[in-house]
Amino acid sequence: MDPLLLVIWIVRLSFLALLYLFLARVVGSLLRDLRAAAREPATSPGRLIVVESPAGEPREGRSFDLDAITTLGRDVNNAIVIDDPFASSEHAVLTFRGRSWYVEDLGSTNGTFVNGRAVAAVAPLGFGDEVSIGQVRLRLERARSS
Amino acid sequence: MTIARRRSPWIALLRVLRPIRPRPRWTEARLLALAAIALLVGSLSLRLGVDGQFGLADARGLGIYLGALLIAHFAQVLAGRRSDEILLPVVGLLGGISLLLMERLPQNLVTLGEGESALGLGDVQLIWLVLAIAVATTLAIVVRSDAWLRRYKYTWAAVGIALLLLTFIFGADVAGQRLTLRLGPISGQPSELLKVILVVFLAGYLSENRPLLIEQDSRLGPLRLPPLPYLAPMVAMWAIALGIVVVQRDLGAALLFFAVFLALTYAATGRLSLVIIGLALFLAGSALMANLFEHVRDRVDIWLDPFADPLGSGYQVVQSLHAFARGGLLGTGLGNGLPMVGGRLPIPEVHTDFPLAALGEELGLVGVIAILGLYFVVIQRGLRIGASAADDFRAILATGLALVVGVQAFIIAAGNLKVLPLTGVTLPFVSYGGSSLLANAVVVGLLLALSDRGVEPPPPPSEATGWRRRFRRASA
Repeated sequence: MDPLLLVIWIVRLSFLALLYLFLARVVGSLLRDLRAAAREPATSPGRLIVVESPAGEPREGRSFDLDAITTLGRDVNNAIVIDDPFASSEHAVLTFRGRSWYVEDLGSTNGTFVNGRAVAAVAPLGFGDEVSIGQVRLRLERARSS
Repeated sequence: MTIARRRSPWIALLRVLRPIRPRPRWTEARLLALAAIALLVGSLSLRLGVDGQFGLADARGLGIYLGALLIAHFAQVLAGRRSDEILLPVVGLLGGISLLLMERLPQNLVTLGEGESALGLGDVQLIWLVLAIAVATTLAIVVRSDAWLRRYKYTWAAVGIALLLLTFIFGADVAGQRLTLRLGPISGQPSELLKVILVVFLAGYLSENRPLLIEQDSRLGPLRLPPLPYLAPMVAMWAIALGIVVVQRDLGAALLFFAVFLALTYAATGRLSLVIIGLALFLAGSALMANLFEHVRDRVDIWLDPFADPLGSGYQVVQSLHAFARGGLLGTGLGNGLPMVGGRLPIPEVHTDFPLAALGEELGLVGVIAILGLYFVVIQRGLRIGASAADDFRAILATGLALVVGVQAFIIAAGNLKVLPLTGVTLPFVSYGGSSLLANAVVVGLLLALSDRGVEPPPPPSEATGWRRRFRRASA
């Protein structure tokens, strides 16, 4: 066989082989990334960030990891205590059902608002939405993955 | 409960002013090195295939391209971003394969300038590729906030519709399709940019109205639907897609827009009923179009039986199938395909619509599968970036950006292989063309920016910002 043809053949196939080596390396990186994400401890279904809090409790910028049922209000027995003069003692409850969050107003005096709209009984809540309780504004976010 | 870092304006300011700390990106460096080696071997193989000489085919062009990738890598290292490290090498390899292919096709397919200094296909593509890398890197480094996308979603939608209308009215007809818009010396295909704008708008709309779309309070037969007014965008989207088919005769863009729209609606709401209605609308529209319009029926007829008129209307598809067949399992080798038969190209428009057929001929089934695998990686990265995003807007945006590239690649690949009717969309990162490369570079740049852990927190939803809030306060 002509040595030149043999060389051409080898170079040709090594290009294809390199393409697959590249893909294999990439897939390796992807798998490492996914395994690292899976190894993390089970995170909570979401977190609440305090966007605005004139009374100072809770502090602005504070983040709360949420349980599937999280109560909010002025009473100290709530999971998130909102010490605001316009908040009721048992103001609202956040629940995680199926794959999405819902906010329920517990008959508060001044109402609960989602993105400025008043909640009648129960309203669905998306990540990035803002809940207002009294003068306190809280934003729902996905739990930090890393 | 944990106490997160405090985010006061002062700390935010300090974080901006703090000297930027370079951060090594080893995964990206390793993958880029491997991609560079693969491209060098490819170039060697191309030179051997074309004239049997040892050496690199157009070493200068490949050098400039690899240099641009290296600069993009170091720019991100110096900026200290913690963004995705896999996208750039994967897209870089696709771009490099494009460069090899364009250098190997007859250079007079595209010329820029005249006389001695005229640039051929390979050189023009090199310029676009370098520009695309610059755009993607700039976006990845500069974009620190998505507020400019999130807040002005209706402005973006207006820009998109304006672009579409401009193309409808002033667009130049090329080969029976009204795709190209000329503004003085600049000409481009707005539909490429439009796909990015569409995703931005959909991400804004769906993330804001997701709770309402999940509610089920109207019924249509066995299907439970969200409140009817919220279906209006779906119908509008359908009408726009049909308008594109009728006026622009651009089946590919219409298919791409509608497919991405349905996928994003499903991703945002998780409701199959919306997808079923969308598919029903799509099928009804397609049937209507195929019966009413000549150009749609032609495409379908060619798809069903290209061999009915192998030298006329079915020529492209038949030649494409022959190219894949000649390639076989391992291909004929780079540079060994049939560039010209009897003085003309075996596949017309090979550099824009049929690059996959050319690659299929020279790299074979094995090579084509590797290239499709690269597109799968791009999609996977987008979905992963979306899954770890902090809020709905970013999640839907990242998902949509990845899908718009992935779906486009598979639409044209399927068209080349006669799996779907042939539509004139480009193969992302590989086809010749400035609009296509730059629009896809914007997609990559945005994905890189979105993947950065440590971007500023998303702004509050639009209802609580700007003049509307002040107005509400004043009126309350």
